Amino acid sequence: MNKHIKIIMIQVIFLVLVFSILYFLYPRTNVEVEGNLVNFRSVNANVIIISESPDFSNPRYLDLAEGKNASINLKPGAYYWKAGNNLIQGWRRAFKIDSEVGMEIKKEENESELVNIGNVKINVTKSKEGTMIGYIILEPNQSEEIEDSGKYTGRQE
Amino acid sequence: MKKKLLIIILVSLFAMLVIPKVDALGVTPGRTTLDYKQGLEQEVAFSVLNNEHKNMQVLLMVQGDLNDSVTLFENMVEFLPSEESKHFKYKVKLPDRIAKDPGLHTAEIVVLEIPKASDEGTYVGATVAVVSQLHIYVPCPGKCIDADLNVLDAEQNSTATLIVPVTNRGKLGIGEARAVIDIYTKLNEKVETLETDYAAIGAGKRTELSAKWQINVPPGGYLAKVTVFYDEESKSFEKQFAIGSQILSIESILVNNFQLGQIAKLQILVENKYNEELKSVFANLLVYNYEEQVMADLKSATENIPALSKKELIAYWDTVGVEEGEYNGKLMVRYGQKSTDRNLILKVSEDSLDITGVGYAIRPQGREGISVTTILLVLVIILLVVNLAWFVFFRRFMGKKKQPKASGRVIKA
Repeated sequence: MNKHIKIIMIQVIFLVLVFSILYFLYPRTNVEVEGNLVNFRSVNANVIIISESPDFSNPRYLDLAEGKNASINLKPGAYYWKAGNNLIQGWRRAFKIDSEVGMEIKKEENESELVNIGNVKINVTKSKEGTMIGYIILEPNQSEEIEDSGKYTGRQE
Repeated sequence: MKKKLLIIILVSLFAMLVIPKVDALGVTPGRTTLDYKQGLEQEVAFSVLNNEHKNMQVLLMVQGDLNDSVTLFENMVEFLPSEESKHFKYKVKLPDRIAKDPGLHTAEIVVLEIPKASDEGTYVGATVAVVSQLHIYVPCPGKCIDADLNVLDAEQNSTATLIVPVTNRGKLGIGEARAVIDIYTKLNEKVETLETDYAAIGAGKRTELSAKWQINVPPGGYLAKVTVFYDEESKSFEKQFAIGSQILSIESILVNNFQLGQIAKLQILVENKYNEELKSVFANLLVYNYEEQVMADLKSATENIPALSKKELIAYWDTVGVEEGEYNGKLMVRYGQKSTDRNLILKVSEDSLDITGVGYAIRPQGREGISVTTILLVLVIILLVVNLAWFVFFRRFMGKKKQPKASGRVIKA
């Protein structure tokens, strides 16, 4: 009976030891998303693996500098990521960058300009008295001269 | 006194005429995508952005084929200049009828700025509306897909990565999906045929197929004709893309031991992707203050960079008088009459300088360690083996111990 207790105790100690090692070596990383900018702050990771697919097909590898911080600008969408160091690769986690549809009409004395101030490509339809009369495709920060009349409706392309 | 008043009125009038009037409006998210579930009822959040911080009245409307299934909690909203954004919700209750109609179903939340009426009561000028879309995908009964093409690093004399993201919109899993990409010039001449890797895609799941292309064609516009083969079916689409001619690329910027108020050393790693030595290459970093004026103009020493190699350019920034905060910057690496530019954000704090915009590098796999799942799996196997060994050993040991006792009984009988 004593032998059984000994073996169980050895296994418990072994498990505690393994989990403690895992806890200390696990690449602990936090992520903050500010607009399109994603900031990773880590204690002991040296790489962040990012993918748009949960299966991490075609991942990007973001090297963490000596300060253990790294930032990356990403287009809107859902992303999966995991932190890694030379020993352990962490669990899969996810974050989302929301798309923003934004438009601005700059009206000057003789001309008007429509600017895409959002973070995605937009399709802008122009309508007059309820009838659509044309459309413009605008990339982020792109602008186009327009007539100062009618209704301009922008939607994500 | 009268003269002063007249000047103020004239200046105000001039300002009203010269300073452009701006109408701005935004909404986020631009699109919310949900998978169809029978009887789905869900609240979806969105925000309207008052980018210009002005007084405005906004009208919220619903349109699209699912407009009967979407209920807005508010229709008319007032914004004050102090309100940068306002958060709203709408309720979506999916009708059963769309279950028989596989594919995309949409609703649009239209946010319209109500134009201010003129003195005569009429609306003058163009008006702006922005849309937050709701996309509902009803799965098809068999196998069907959505696919797109993204071309990364499309530069002459470099290796481009062509990625075909594929989403399985069917109820059945796809055993094997692959894509063939034919690349054509604008004159419809085929210049390359690429085959991607293979992948299985579960029902409702997404994966990315990829192929590499060593670009040896001139810069310019190209057309990719993509055919995705999934099990016995296929889907084709076309997409235009451009190939650039970047010769020099900015790989990273490193700042070690930064202390605000001292001279910071910036190590800018650049790669010559051209097959000839580039002479007199130097980096020029412009840092802008909050008024978008150049507050620092840093230049590195000139260097010659051998063909297809990397070199570090060193620039120094005297940060005396620089305050903590976030600054915009522009890094230009100049060679001959040409330049490779990159916009940056510099986050300055007392003991750190974080530069974003170039801080990442794509590099081959191999240094990221063993996955925790694998470690736990190995741990479970070890414990299983130990316990099994213990069990086997214990049974044999006990069996040997019991044998003499049994023979003793026979003797007694």
